[in-house]
Amino acid sequence: MSLASDLLERFRALWHRRRDEEELAEELRFHVEQQAAQHVSAGIEEDEARRLSQVALGGVEQVKEAVRDARGTRPLEESLGDMQYALRNLARNPGFAAVVILTLALGIGGTTAVFSAVDAVLLAPLPYDEPGQLVRLYGASVNDLSFRGFSSPVQFGAYREQLPSLESVAAILTYNTKGADVGAGEDVRRIRVLPTSANYLAMLRARPELGRGFQSEDENGSGIEDNVDAAPVVLLSHGFWQDQLHGDPGAVGRTLMMNGVAYTVTGVMPDGFKDPVAGAVDAWVPLDLSQARDPNEVGNHYLTVVGRLRRDASLARAQAELDGLSLRLAEQYPSIKEERARLYPLKEDIVGSSSRALEIMMGAVGLVLLLVCVNIANLMLVRGSERSREFALRTALGAGRTRIVRQLLVESLTLAMAGAMAGLLVARLAMAAIVVLGSGTIPRLASLSLNPWLLVFALAVAVGCAVVFGLTPAIRAARTQPGDALRDQSRSSTGGRRSLRVREWLVAWQVALAVILLVGAGLLLASFARIQRVPLGVKADHVLTFELNLPSARYDSMARAQFYEQIATALAALPGVRAAGGISKLPATGAYHQWGVAAISGPLAGDAQRGHIGAQNRTVSGEYFQAAGIPVLAGRTFTQGDDARAPDRVVVSKSLAEQLYPGTNAVGQRLHTGGRDSEIIGVVGDVAVDNEGRSDTYVYHAHRQFAGDRNWALMQVVATAGSATALEPAVRHALAEADPQLVMFHPIPLDEAIGQGAAQRVFTMRILLTFAAVALALSALGLFGVLSYSVKLRTREFGIRMALGAERADIGRMVLRRGLAVAAAGIAIGVCTALPLTRLMTSVLFEVSPLDPRVLLGAIAFMGLVAAVAAYLPARRATSIDPIASMRVE
Amino acid sequence: MAESDGELLQGTLEMLVLRTLAFEPMHGWGIAHRIESMSGRVFLVSQGSLYPALVRMKRRGLLASEWRTTENNRRARYYGLTAAGRKQLHVERSGWLRASTAINAILNAHWALGET
Repeated sequence: MSLASDLLERFRALWHRRRDEEELAEELRFHVEQQAAQHVSAGIEEDEARRLSQVALGGVEQVKEAVRDARGTRPLEESLGDMQYALRNLARNPGFAAVVILTLALGIGGTTAVFSAVDAVLLAPLPYDEPGQLVRLYGASVNDLSFRGFSSPVQFGAYREQLPSLESVAAILTYNTKGADVGAGEDVRRIRVLPTSANYLAMLRARPELGRGFQSEDENGSGIEDNVDAAPVVLLSHGFWQDQLHGDPGAVGRTLMMNGVAYTVTGVMPDGFKDPVAGAVDAWVPLDLSQARDPNEVGNHYLTVVGRLRRDASLARAQAELDGLSLRLAEQYPSIKEERARLYPLKEDIVGSSSRALEIMMGAVGLVLLLVCVNIANLMLVRGSERSREFALRTALGAGRTRIVRQLLVESLTLAMAGAMAGLLVARLAMAAIVVLGSGTIPRLASLSLNPWLLVFALAVAVGCAVVFGLTPAIRAARTQPGDALRDQSRSSTGGRRSLRVREWLVAWQVALAVILLVGAGLLLASFARIQRVPLGVKADHVLTFELNLPSARYDSMARAQFYEQIATALAALPGVRAAGGISKLPATGAYHQWGVAAISGPLAGDAQRGHIGAQNRTVSGEYFQAAGIPVLAGRTFTQGDDARAPDRVVVSKSLAEQLYPGTNAVGQRLHTGGRDSEIIGVVGDVAVDNEGRSDTYVYHAHRQFAGDRNWALMQVVATAGSATALEPAVRHALAEADPQLVMFHPIPLDEAIGQGAAQRVFTMRILLTFAAVALALSALGLFGVLSYSVKLRTREFGIRMALGAERADIGRMVLRRGLAVAAAGIAIGVCTALPLTRLMTSVLFEVSPLDPRVLLGAIAFMGLVAAVAAYLPARRATSIDPIASMRVE
Repeated sequence: MAESDGELLQGTLEMLVLRTLAFEPMHGWGIAHRIESMSGRVFLVSQGSLYPALVRMKRRGLLASEWRTTENNRRARYYGLTAAGRKQLHVERSGWLRASTAINAILNAHWALGET
C-alpha cells in the first residue's frame, strides 16, 4: 500500500461520505437480520433473537463510529470544516482579505519577476564551456588604468604569444557594427558580419554544426574589405543558413556573394550560438592579421581581445604577466610607451554597468519583500487582536486550544494560498512588462523566464510570514485566561495598548523602508534629468540617420567618394531638409578609431610628451557639421576642392586645437595621424563621445580624401525642419533614384540612437520608481490602518473626553499628532539607513551626489505628505465620534 | 488469548478474514459466521471489530467489495480478495506458521528441560 493510494482512498471516502454512510447502515441492518434469522432457526423467539443479535453487534452506533474512524477521513473532514469556517470568516471581512491578498500578490509577483531578471542577467553563467575562465583584455594608459580602450594588431600578436597564463587569446574587429550586403540585384540584403581571429570560436569552445571553423592561414587578409587575393571564407550563423541557404545540408563549399565578393562557406554554427561580445551576428569572417608584425600598425587600435584563462592560472597572475609584457612593448615601441592593458572577467564585462543596476534592483526587491512581510504581520496582528475576544469566548465554551490554533492556521493558509495564486498572476504580468521595458538595453533579457526556485522562495517567505503572524495572536490567546481577555475587552476603554505600540513600530519601519526606496528612486530620477540636459555638442532632434554601404564590387574608391557627396546633395535638396552629410560613427554613441595624433608644427611640434595625444578620428562627407549642428569656430569645413588630388586636410575639435596648439591659431598648423601628415583647415565645437557627455578630442577627415583607405559605410545624417521619422519615405525614394540596389540600413532618429545607452538607466529607474510607489502605498496603508484601529479602540475614551469637555478639534489633533510622530520616527530611521546605502549607487548615478540634499528633502517631504493624508482620515473620524453612542458601543 | 471471550488481536483477525475470503467472496455476517464455525466456536468475532477491520483492509487495497443479492434475494455487500490481499494472506500465513512453530518449540523445550 503506497501513501499516495492511501491518501487517494481517504479523499475518495471523503467525497462519497453520504453514500458510504447509507451503505454502512444497510450492511449492518443485513447483519442483524441474518443473525436473527439464524437464532430463529435455532429455535429462539424472533424478538429475543433480534435482541441477542443486536447485543452481539455491540450497538449499531458504536460500530458505525468505529467504522468511520477506520475510514481515516476524520482529520480531513475537520480541516474541511475549518476551511469552510475560514472562508465564511474572510467573506465577512472582505476588505481585510483583499488587502492581505493584494499585498501578498505584489510582494510575491513583483519580487519574483525582478529577481528572475536579475538571475537571468546577472547570476546565470555565459552559455559557453567553463565561462568563468573567459577574460576580456582592455587597453589602458599609465595615467588612467581604468580606461577601457582597444588593442592594436601588434599588441594582439604579442598577447597571443607571450601570456603563458592564458590558454588562448583571440580577437575580433571592434568596429563590428558594420554590415555587408548579401546577394545581388533586387535581392540585396544587409547582414552583420564579424571578423574574428582564427582561434576565436575555438577559444569560446564553440564548434560549427557543419563544416569547420577558421584556420590560422585564413588570417592572411582575405577579409571583408576589398583587398582580396585568396578565396575568402565565411562561417554562417544557424539562422542565416536557414534563411539564405534554406538550411541546405550541402552548404559547406558553396559560394556566397558578400559586398560583391565571392566567399566560400566553410561551416555553419549551431542553433542558439550567440557571440558573447558582438551579440547577434549573421556571419563570421577571418580577421586580416597580416599586419600583426608591422610596427607602423602598433598605434592602430581596432581589436577587441578576449582570452581563456588556463585552469591552473589566476587572474592576478595573468595580469602580472600582462603588466610585464606591456612594459616590454613600451620599450620596443616608443609610440605606445604610455599604454598598459587590464584583464577583466568576461562576464563582469558583459553584464558590466548593468551589474550594479541589477544589484540595486535586487536590493529594492529585498526591501519590498521585507515591507510586504511587515505589512502582512501588521494586518494579521490587528485581525488577531480584534478576534481575541472571539477566541476567549470559544475557549470558555470548551474549544481546545490546539483546535483554535489549527483553525487559525487554516485561515492563514487559505489567505496565503489565495495571495500566492494572485502573486503568480502578477509575476507573469510583471515579467512580460520587464521584457518589454528592458528589451535591447539589458543583455540576455529576451531569454527571461520565471525562475521556479525564486518563486518558491518568495512564496515561502510570504506564506511563512502570513502563517507566523497569523498564529501569534492565537498562541497569545491560548496563553491568557479567557476570563481576563473577556473582561479586558469589554471593560477597559483603552485596552490593547501594548499590541498597538508593537504595531506603531511596525508602521514606523514600513515608513523607513519606503523612504529608503524613495531616496533611491529619487537619486536615479535626478541622474536621469541631469543626463538629458548634458550638453553633447550636437543638435540631435529632428535628425534622421541611417547606414549606407556602397558595395566594393560596383563602387571603387573614386565612385564612393563621388556618390556620398552626390547623395548628400540630393538629400539636402528634399523639401524640409536643412542639411545632409555622412560620418563614420554617429556622435555621442561611443569611442571609435582612437588614433595617435602628433603635432608637427606649432609650439609643441616634436614634444614627445605634450605634442602627442590620442584622438577620435572620424571620416565625414557632405555637410556633416551643419547637419549635426556642430558649430564652426575657426577656418572652414571641407569643400569640393578637398579631394584625393589635394593635399591632406583635416578639421579638428576645439579641445584638440587647445591641447596641441596652445596659445596659437590652430588653423594652418599641421599634424600627423592615420599614417599621413595633414593641414588643419578648421576648428569645430567639441562633441561628447558618449551620451553621458564624456569629452574627447576629434580629428575629422574628408571622405573624398580618405575613400581609398577602406570602404567606409558612412552613417548618413539628415537634419530636417519636421519629424525625423516622417522624412524616411522621401529619403528612401531619393536613394532609390540614385541607385535602386542600395539599402537604407537601420534608419533611426539621431536622438534615439544616442539615447539607447541611457535606456538601461531608465529601466532601472522605472523599476525603482514602481517599487517606491508600492512601498509608499503599503506604508500609507499601514499608517492609515494602525491609526484607524487605535481610533476604534479609543472610541470610548474619546467619547468620555468629549463628554468631559474636550474639543473635537483637540481629539483630531491628538490622533494626527500620534500618526505624524510614528511617520517622523519612520522617516528618521529611513534617512539614517538610506545614507550609507545610497553610496552603493554611486556608479549608476550621474553627476548626482548620493547624499544629494534635494533628493533627501524631496523624499522626506513626499513621505511626510502621504503620511499626513494617511493620518488625516482617521483623525477626522475621531472628531466625528458621538460621545453618547460611543459609551453604548459594547 | 482467553478461550472463553474469543477476542482476537487485530492482526490475527485480519489474517483470518483473508483466509476466509480465500475460498469465495462473502458478506460481513458470513465472514463472522464462518470464522466462528471453522474455529469450533472458539473465536467469536465481535462485529464492532469486524466492520472497521473490513474498511481498513479495503483502504489498504487488500479487499474489494460489491453489492450482490444473496440466495434469499437480499442485497448484501460481498467482500473478495484482491491480488494484493492474496499476497498478504500468503505473507501472514507463513509468518504465523513460523511464529507458531517457534512458540511450540519453546514451549516443548521448557517441558523437556524441566524433565532433566
